[in-house]
Amino acid sequence: MERERSRRLSGGQQQRLALAGALAPRPGLLVLDEPTANLDAEGAAALMQALGAIRGTRAATLVLIEHQVDRAWPLADVVLSLGHDGRPIDVGAPDDVLARSADAMRAAGIWLPGETARSPLARRARDEGASPDPLVRAEALRFGYDRGRPVVRDISLDAWAGERIALVGPNGSGKSTLGRLLVGLLRPDHGRVTLAGDDPARVPAATLARHAGYVFQEPERQFLAQTVGDEVRFGLTDEEHGRVDGLMQRLALPLDVFEGRSPYRLSGGEQRRLSLACILVRRPELLVLDEPTFGQDRLGYEGLLAILGEHLDEGACLVAATHDARFVDDVADRIVEIGEGWIVRDEPVAEAAA
Amino acid sequence: MIAERLEVADGQLDSVLGRTSPVVKLGIAVLWLIGLALTLHPVPPVLLAGAALAAGLTLGGIPPVVLGRNLAPVWLAALAIGLSNMLFSAANGDPTTATLIQLGPIRIAQEAFVAGVSIMLRVAAIACVGAVFALTTDPTRLADSLVQQARVPARFAYGALAAYGAIPRFTEDLAALRQARRIRGARAGWHPRLFVGLLVLAIRHADRMAVSMDARAFGSGPRTHYRTLHWSLLDLGVGVAAFSILAIALVLGR
Repeated sequence: MERERSRRLSGGQQQRLALAGALAPRPGLLVLDEPTANLDAEGAAALMQALGAIRGTRAATLVLIEHQVDRAWPLADVVLSLGHDGRPIDVGAPDDVLARSADAMRAAGIWLPGETARSPLARRARDEGASPDPLVRAEALRFGYDRGRPVVRDISLDAWAGERIALVGPNGSGKSTLGRLLVGLLRPDHGRVTLAGDDPARVPAATLARHAGYVFQEPERQFLAQTVGDEVRFGLTDEEHGRVDGLMQRLALPLDVFEGRSPYRLSGGEQRRLSLACILVRRPELLVLDEPTFGQDRLGYEGLLAILGEHLDEGACLVAATHDARFVDDVADRIVEIGEGWIVRDEPVAEAAA
Repeated sequence: MIAERLEVADGQLDSVLGRTSPVVKLGIAVLWLIGLALTLHPVPPVLLAGAALAAGLTLGGIPPVVLGRNLAPVWLAALAIGLSNMLFSAANGDPTTATLIQLGPIRIAQEAFVAGVSIMLRVAAIACVGAVFALTTDPTRLADSLVQQARVPARFAYGALAAYGAIPRFTEDLAALRQARRIRGARAGWHPRLFVGLLVLAIRHADRMAVSMDARAFGSGPRTHYRTLHWSLLDLGVGVAAFSILAIALVLGR
């Protein structure tokens, strides 16, 4: 990979490269801000192993900032738990903190190790009689950003209304690219996509926006306005305007506080929720989300889950590219695994679990 | 796309010119440019352009198609510059000059023609030298070489490299912003807001880049290097050859 351009790497690969750069000089103090967000399971495990080795030698002080603490908890000598006001809820040895402050942390919406969401979405068998045609059909898609280097090699996929598909696979396998192809933001080199009867890459933008929503992996690249209020209201119809306040409230971005803030100055988790809100408020039939859950504490995660659940119950189709095993467990009824631009597994969740 | 043009293929990097120290190549390019500026004679630019192209194609391993694709727009520009210099030269209105071409009201004096051709050849030659340099030089190696062999401050060289690496990012940011507009129902095409977005993303990126460089202690003292570069006989050979070609060209063009 020596000569690979770093900007060509997938989001997860870039994350790992940045980590390698920080680890290489063997610093005495290493601060990692959500290092496993966007990493595949293998990458996250490898990272934790590397951090474990550093901890073993006591060569460096590690400060690890994390929401998803399952992997990080066993590494910690000291846990510092911060509340919304920035004041510590508790600090001490991991076991002591759990014994003393588990309830207070739970109340503040902080994930505890080994904890699951309170309300996973109910799984439903697909209603076979509902519609004979898939909402979106991808046929023999091939796509590459550079000639001779296809990212998506030959993918055919049908997705029906009401389905909740988790797109999984290692970093760089082509999940994000497939997502953009499905909603017509990229045009395939070969093959074709049909969304609600049309090629989504050729329909007018207004039509596309009614049928499909796409949330980018990097929220900053999708922001179009200077304030949070303008951002979430960008291009909405009157009916959609009416949903803005309630939705923002539920996503812990109440407009009476956030209205005039700059989207770029929000925290990573807030940016993620704002980028989701901009798309969820439209209630599109096809919802493609790229890493929807990174940077979320338990409150943010459960809020998102509830909103998604309501929307999906109305018959929308969800395709989520994700490395978050918890999200896959809580939401997906079908898992599509991508490897190097091909579908290597496509099965309902019940079978996958068996 | 800009992004494609910044890529240098492995074949070019592993060639004789690709393995030559970037600082040597940069020095040659600058020397040749100074040489070209010193003369109005048509022979030096033709000779130097020819030498650069021949070296690029043989010693540099640049595929002719790639070289042609990179040079075509600059050569067109050179032609346009040459023609406009020819047409709008003051000599055309001077009755004491010899008429070379008379087309209706348009008169081109011999001096104007010579000046136009001369400037066209020089611009084309500069383009050839620059293209061969760029197409055989990996930007990272150039920065390494500037720091290790030319003693340029690391903070400056790698800062410039980081800025250079951010250029393709612009095209990607722009693509993402346009996709973001489309998925939210805004018409495709150009919108002033896109530039605001690009600017914001560029500033945010520069900000993060500066923090990353600080986190890696740039500018704080002596550094170690991942790739250690050494002067080689190849550098000497290429340098001497290039200097000789320049000298011959200037002598012939006196």
